[in-house]
Amino acid sequence: MAVASAAAFVYERVTVAGNKNIMTRFIFALLAAIACYLPAQSEPVDGGYALVELISDHASAEAGDTISLALKLKLDEGWHVYWRNPGDAGLPPQINWDEETRAEFSEFEWPIPELLPVVPNQIMDYGYSDIVVLPFEATLPANASGTYTFTGTADYLICEEICIPETAPISLTVDIGPASLGVNAREITEWREKTPTVFEGVTALDRSSDGWTLSFSGGQITEAAISSVRFFPNDHHIVHSAAQPITHGTAGSCIALTEATDGFDTSSIPEGIIVVETADGTRAGYKIAPENGDLLPGTCAERPLMPAIEEAGIGSGNYSEGGSVTNDASTGSTGGGFSLFAILPFAFLGGLILNLMPCVLPVLSIKALGMTHAAASGHTREMKVHGLAYSAGVILSFAALAAAFLAVRGALGNASLGFQLQNAPTVIVLTLIVFLVGLWLLGMFELGTSIQNTGSGLAAQQGTAGAFFTGVLAAVVGAPCVGPFLGASLGAVIDQPSGTVMLTFVVLGLGMALPFLLLSFAPGLQKLLPKPGPWMETLKQFFAFPMFITAAWLLSVLGALTDYSVVGWTIAGASAIAFGIWVWNNLPRAGLRPVMQGLGAIALIGGLVAPIAQAMKPEPAPITANAIIGDWSPTYVDQLLDDGHGIFVDFTAVWCVTCQANKATTLNRDEVKRAFAENNIAFLTADFTKRDPVIAEELALRQRPGVPMYLYYPPGEREPQILPEVLTPGLVIGRVTGK
Amino acid sequence: MLNRRNLSLAAGMATAIALTAGSLIASTGTAAADDVAAPAIGETAPGFTGVDSNGETVSLSDFDGKTVVLEWTNADCPFVKKHYDESVKNMQGLQTDAAADDIVWISVISSAPGKQGHVDGATANELTTSRGAAPTHVILDETGEIGRTYEAKTTPHMFVIKDDKSLAYMGAIDSKKSANPADIATSTNYVTAALDSIEAGTPVETTSSKPYGCSVKY
Repeated sequence: MAVASAAAFVYERVTVAGNKNIMTRFIFALLAAIACYLPAQSEPVDGGYALVELISDHASAEAGDTISLALKLKLDEGWHVYWRNPGDAGLPPQINWDEETRAEFSEFEWPIPELLPVVPNQIMDYGYSDIVVLPFEATLPANASGTYTFTGTADYLICEEICIPETAPISLTVDIGPASLGVNAREITEWREKTPTVFEGVTALDRSSDGWTLSFSGGQITEAAISSVRFFPNDHHIVHSAAQPITHGTAGSCIALTEATDGFDTSSIPEGIIVVETADGTRAGYKIAPENGDLLPGTCAERPLMPAIEEAGIGSGNYSEGGSVTNDASTGSTGGGFSLFAILPFAFLGGLILNLMPCVLPVLSIKALGMTHAAASGHTREMKVHGLAYSAGVILSFAALAAAFLAVRGALGNASLGFQLQNAPTVIVLTLIVFLVGLWLLGMFELGTSIQNTGSGLAAQQGTAGAFFTGVLAAVVGAPCVGPFLGASLGAVIDQPSGTVMLTFVVLGLGMALPFLLLSFAPGLQKLLPKPGPWMETLKQFFAFPMFITAAWLLSVLGALTDYSVVGWTIAGASAIAFGIWVWNNLPRAGLRPVMQGLGAIALIGGLVAPIAQAMKPEPAPITANAIIGDWSPTYVDQLLDDGHGIFVDFTAVWCVTCQANKATTLNRDEVKRAFAENNIAFLTADFTKRDPVIAEELALRQRPGVPMYLYYPPGEREPQILPEVLTPGLVIGRVTGK
Repeated sequence: MLNRRNLSLAAGMATAIALTAGSLIASTGTAAADDVAAPAIGETAPGFTGVDSNGETVSLSDFDGKTVVLEWTNADCPFVKKHYDESVKNMQGLQTDAAADDIVWISVISSAPGKQGHVDGATANELTTSRGAAPTHVILDETGEIGRTYEAKTTPHMFVIKDDKSLAYMGAIDSKKSANPADIATSTNYVTAALDSIEAGTPVETTSSKPYGCSVKY
């Protein structure tokens, strides 16, 4: 292009000078045309997995001028390069200039990086994918003339799954003369705009023993429409793979950071950038250098829960997480996330519905009757006081329950209770409890009839104190009914800040106390009270079904956490528990009574313990590193036989009871596994759980009707022996060792 | 009020609450147990047990009283290749010197099956022979358990454990972060420095550094 402009320049001069020699004009025109087809000042070089180019914003500049250059990397899909701080593993790109290039260069201006998660909770990198342009400034030497050529090599680590350190030669020629911008000026300007600006607000880093909190306020960040914020450090002060939960306050926000534990000296100021992503997907970065200090006022509404080490943040999410509860932005916030205004109406409604439960309604009715009499005999004021006392009793009981829950949550430290659903034994216990409550609601066993007795007893209590305690006991003693609703409310607020939890429970209590309160102020309303009757029992039974659906959902969670065998055991455990209850309901009057009681108890306890034991069994470790274990296929068999191995093939299926029994008694035993390994016998599995024509063909070939089938190829022989359907360790070891 | 029915009710409720609370606490207990202490300089190095390339079970406790070097490795990673390169044979030299001083050298391969660097015992032994390497053991940690215990992030990632079981050094093998074997000659080898200090009975100067290399292929 320089040649073209030079040609054009000269041509113009020539024409102006009047020398309109046609030949001259033609030659210059030709040169100009050719020049446009000459290679540009620089061309992209293929480094391997990236095209590398050195570009400039100026096509020409005077000697001694400072111009902007940039290293442009166009990456192959799926590959990435690294930011100035690569994170846990990586190297940032760099340019090594040739000796002849004596210009002065500034550092790269780094555009805002992405998160590159490599291993969840363990390895996190920072970098770029697809394309990155790294601008920097170059000052031309004062003695440059004619043209000036920059030459060097770009060295960059580029990774996908694996990493490759690539090198590409780069060169760029700039004309020395009056400054003029080149074709790449706009691109360099665009990428400069993607580099972070200096933060104009205030920042502070609170370093306390249970974590660092970075608070920031003012400046360019307003809470409006922020979808996420992440701190990218210039150095290794923090654990890169840790989540950074954020809390928004009135004047700003604060992020929880995890201090590095790998020996890095974290005492210096962790400079870096805050990257803010707004709801429309745009990202802005701000350079900060937070001094040590207390949290800025109005930034942390409440100290968020400690960041669990898991994934959160901006940018590429190119891996999938397995069922973790993310303590992400806005879970800990009071401003955003799960709105208080959504929870409270439901809590209130839940409280109201409680009044319909068989545990509470009779108490209400009897009290109501008492109220009408009191009104008739003129004790109106006393009634109102009683009503208030009752409400106080109910609400305080719920508040106490909330306080207990918060205490437990606090004592459990920083684990969110939602975490417990990650733990298989807990999920099993919850499933069985929910199932049990469902059985009770259906009426399979009686725990609640005593409530009605209690209720009438309570109603007989006199005085304000009596009314208060009626309230307390209505809340507490009516617990089996309250249980399901309480559980649901608990689930809804489990992760919320303490204030929300307390408020929800209080509102629940209010909902429950309200009808009684209303009655005490307007006894006439008693007419509106539904009369206790058999419909109460039907309603109670109805509520069993949401319980069963909850149990079903918990089972599906369990299935995701573990496998089919644990789920199977849990369902079996539920059946055992139901059986145990049935036995207790049908105890003989005499004679075998104690025996049946024992049987029932065993069924109940066994039903609970067995699935948990199954879930907690550790993974069986491989016996030796040399054992060959794999999936059966005819070609693999040939290969192993060619290599001189013996082979034991287990044709099995999940639904085949004999197969599972043989696994438990023989094939999973250590001594059998060791015998295989020591005698150079490969162990192959042909899984017939799903339809497989190849396996079916083999079964037909060996003239077996189906699974199980056990084939043993002694080392060196190509025809297998067929073992009996029922295995014992002695049988198998004997065959394998030839004894 | 305190009749049998109420008592049994209360008992039932109490059991249900106790069960739930118990399982919640137990599960956090299990979670806590899983959180083995992260490696820290001056603290006892986390123990581990693994199976080596010859099928032997190897535990850190087998080497009580000896200095142990742990080297996370992946033979196909360019940064590992830098140190094993024919032209420098840096890692091989360190291993041979260590063996001469009765220092145990354990190479750990935490690559998961199917990922770069994963090998079976036979191949691991072949690599040792063909590269002229001299580790005391090559542990095949394909579940990544040992890697996670030590929070190994890169290959190479080095740990030096003193004879009193405390961790003396963790981090990069040397000071120049690159994949170029030519940089080895001009960089400081932190492992050698640590081993020399331990030998001389002086405190290790550089106890940790940010490791560089390919990410461990868990």
